[in-house]
Amino acid sequence: MKSFVLSDDQSLVPSIATFVHGLGEFDLYAPGPASPALIRCGASKVFTIKDPNMTDSIAELLASKMSSGEYQYGFIASTVNGRDVAGLLAYRANVGSVAEIGSLSLSGSTARTKRYFFGGKSILEEESSSRLFTVAPGIAEAKEIAAESPVEEASLSPSKITVLSSEEKKSGGVDIEKAQAIVSVGRGLGNKDKLSSIEPFANAINAVIAGSRPVCLDYHWLSEDRQVGLSGKKVRPKVYVALGISGQIQHIAGMRGSKIVIAINKDKSAPIFEECDYGIVGDMFEVLPKLVDQLKK
Amino acid sequence: MGYNIIVLIKVIPDLEQIKPDQQGNVSTKNLPLRIETLSENSIEAAVQLREKYGGKVTGIIFGTQESVPIMKKAYAMGVDEGSVITGYQGNNPKYTAAVLSEKIKKIPHDVIVMGNQSADSYTGLLPGLVAGTLGYPLIGNAISIVPNDRKIKVKKFLESKNIEVESSLPAVISVAQEINEPRLPPVMQIMAAGRKQIPVEAANIQNSSSIKVLSNTAPKSERRKIVFEKIDEGVPAIVKVLREELR
Repeated sequence: MKSFVLSDDQSLVPSIATFVHGLGEFDLYAPGPASPALIRCGASKVFTIKDPNMTDSIAELLASKMSSGEYQYGFIASTVNGRDVAGLLAYRANVGSVAEIGSLSLSGSTARTKRYFFGGKSILEEESSSRLFTVAPGIAEAKEIAAESPVEEASLSPSKITVLSSEEKKSGGVDIEKAQAIVSVGRGLGNKDKLSSIEPFANAINAVIAGSRPVCLDYHWLSEDRQVGLSGKKVRPKVYVALGISGQIQHIAGMRGSKIVIAINKDKSAPIFEECDYGIVGDMFEVLPKLVDQLKK
Repeated sequence: MGYNIIVLIKVIPDLEQIKPDQQGNVSTKNLPLRIETLSENSIEAAVQLREKYGGKVTGIIFGTQESVPIMKKAYAMGVDEGSVITGYQGNNPKYTAAVLSEKIKKIPHDVIVMGNQSADSYTGLLPGLVAGTLGYPLIGNAISIVPNDRKIKVKKFLESKNIEVESSLPAVISVAQEINEPRLPPVMQIMAAGRKQIPVEAANIQNSSSIKVLSNTAPKSERRKIVFEKIDEGVPAIVKVLREELR
């Protein structure tokens, strides 16, 4: 049995590759250059992809390799381009597919999968003969493999899509997915200027500052790459401090992997208090200076 | 001149109102229905294209008889014609794509607009399945759409970049929430839409999928939920936790 792994984001490769490596042999498809993340992930072969936006060409290549029996299973990192390829490929290779899996066990041709459903309100456990999966982040603890895989460029047919220009997003310069401690702010912050009153606390515990969807995407108080949530980053720090975050299920889905969750919110009935280990009902601007004071002692 | 635009509209239960039962099982039975957020953005995007370049917007809902009022909302937002197909069977994007594509083939079209990922099932597979079935290019997670003769320029909203791409028409375009702010239709349009007769037809394709649901239950929160209502009691407790965890 051989599978393929496709990810247009190199940082998502190690976790998925570790998981698929546990199932058997696999080839990796990812944009170059061939970094250690790619060549030491345990793949039989690494195929670099010229442009991950050529979703039709990538789907066509992988569909032909699934149809010919070269690959029995496919695992695709759940990104915008990844999901586009998955849909196109599922049709072209005529295989069943399950999206955003968080776990999978295979027995014969039966795949048992679990994934979040109803926007994170439930976990759906399904059984099917699907052979194609998009994979949610964090399916396995990444392990580096010592042996290096051979690298070659994937040969893609011409795409119907032409890339005209590309613009890097404004980045906050931090990778919140790697942080040990995160202080996350919600709408309850009030306005952007008040971020400066959060900083002393974040500094005291050596945390990076992140935010909810409205804070990052609607009000732009923080850059987009700091958004935690179903549509943002999925984080798993040791400590996650939620400030003025009500705790909508879409937000919870992005921080569920945190070891300890601390919530501070004025509203006693905020759902975040159902999803925290420790909480204080109170005004964050009153609570934070007190925390900083005591942390200094 | 102008463009024939088809907008695919999804109806979902109001997820905020989901309450698990004693056993933790989750059901959406009897919950009020609403239009999926990205479907509203899709309608807005389609109507804006027509307003700017001319043409016609046709809405399609694959849902149930209960979806009819949602199509009326789509009319109020500016959809010119719409129909409801009944027989939706939940989370099964392959079947949904087959039914929608059958319908799309019967309607003249240049552009198909839909949401990138729906708030309930969150598969994100439907745009690719529809594009695959129709044999069209797919441009995912759009934040701007500019047609030019028989081509279309789209800005894609990716995780770390925004990319501008061009493709030939017809094409399937899935939209991101950031593409626009859906309009609130004026009362007159809502009233006019209320009087519309919405054609309803049953899906005539068999569902051949064999996905079996084993369980659908609320995730268990294993959190301690120690919540202090007095700040001065909470602060020392939390300082202690922070010190232990972040040594």
